[in-house]
Amino acid sequence: MTLNLVIKRILIFSITVVLFQSFFSCQNKQTTTEDKIEAQVDQQIDSNATQVIMFNGALFSIPSPYQISLLIKKEKIDFNEEMINPLQNTSNYTSNFKKAINLGVLGSDLAYLNIYEQTPTAIKYFSRIKALSQELDISSCFDKKIIERVDKNMGNQDSLLVIISNSYRKADKFLKENNRNDLGVLILTGGFIESLYSITQLSANIKDQELLYRIGEQKNPLENLIKIISPYYNQSDDYSKLSDMLIDLAYDFDGIDINYTYEKPTVDVKNKLTVINSKSKVVVSDAQLTTIREKVSKIRDFIIE
Amino acid sequence: MMRKILIVLVFLTGFIGLSNVTTAQVDKTVNLCTKYLVPPYISDGQQYKALLNEDEIAEFHITFFGGSVYRIIAASGTTEGNVVFRIYDKERNLLFTNADYDNSTYWDFKFSSTIDCIIEAQLDNDNLQSGYLLMLVGFKQNN
Repeated sequence: MTLNLVIKRILIFSITVVLFQSFFSCQNKQTTTEDKIEAQVDQQIDSNATQVIMFNGALFSIPSPYQISLLIKKEKIDFNEEMINPLQNTSNYTSNFKKAINLGVLGSDLAYLNIYEQTPTAIKYFSRIKALSQELDISSCFDKKIIERVDKNMGNQDSLLVIISNSYRKADKFLKENNRNDLGVLILTGGFIESLYSITQLSANIKDQELLYRIGEQKNPLENLIKIISPYYNQSDDYSKLSDMLIDLAYDFDGIDINYTYEKPTVDVKNKLTVINSKSKVVVSDAQLTTIREKVSKIRDFIIE
Repeated sequence: MMRKILIVLVFLTGFIGLSNVTTAQVDKTVNLCTKYLVPPYISDGQQYKALLNEDEIAEFHITFFGGSVYRIIAASGTTEGNVVFRIYDKERNLLFTNADYDNSTYWDFKFSSTIDCIIEAQLDNDNLQSGYLLMLVGFKQNN
């Protein structure tokens, strides 16, 4: 066998392998339920922290707006349509900044509508969310299959919560992995501020201790939010203004005392459940609450107008 | 000329092969986690991922609200039990580690009060030397 013949055979083998792999790669793209861009690395290693690395430079969790809506319902507070962003505002959103941050706002509103079983309005909000996601080129997170599932489950509050939360998780993942986390953090910010707006406004008329605690407990999540948005401070005037407003709000939250007492947790191994018995108590004054309410309202106006 | 094409193709084949293997592994990790994120648990709407080597530790800060039940899910690679995670309160008291329970992929937590916590996660080097660590957080809809 000549050298040329060997090379030719290896060449044919290589081409076959490449085509074979490409074929299966494409096939997987159609069949898998998760996006195929998982392999992209967008993590940053914090070289200043010995042996500690952080997700995306900083790994900070922002609470789901659904939890706030569930609390409001649990406290038997009546549905109030004034708490949600009117849909007519959404036609004014032309920049990606406004679209992304209001995608978060509308997600929070949808949670509120869904929990209070406001189905006809919820359908309209979901439709607008879908449109905004298309405009932001993340419609794969709200694809046809998801929309069909939402349509089918519009009357089923539990299923809807799961479907929509998973869609937002996929959007978060998609944006992080495509170096578009500048939009991902806006979605989180929109959801956070909208739910904070709801509880601070409701607290003006309803004296509910749980509501008050939940407002004070946003102190740490707000700090987390500032940490994840701060890398984008110079991206545009909108980012700068939003960051400044959040930092200003954090000064007022800083005045809130959270008294913490450690207690040993108890473990139920059979059910894989640990009960955290430690206690914390939030101390918020009326003056602090009033200032926070006003500042949150201003941030929300900046976002939704 | 023929040799150059051959080298390029062999390199390309290897690259695509490696890329497909990595993607398939990460997909499996995602599936390992999402199978535990099912009703009544709802995603917090975020997905946390880090590339870790040996004894590197991923750290993240989270507030758990009182009166809620949460599920923490962590995995790496294609099998369960490759991740060790520890939950500390803000005073660095250890509240939980799955190392005490065979590196369980998930664990549930009931909070009577709202607590600011730090979760540290790392690969169990007996099983994995490096890889993507994926963590998901869910909360129970009806406590």
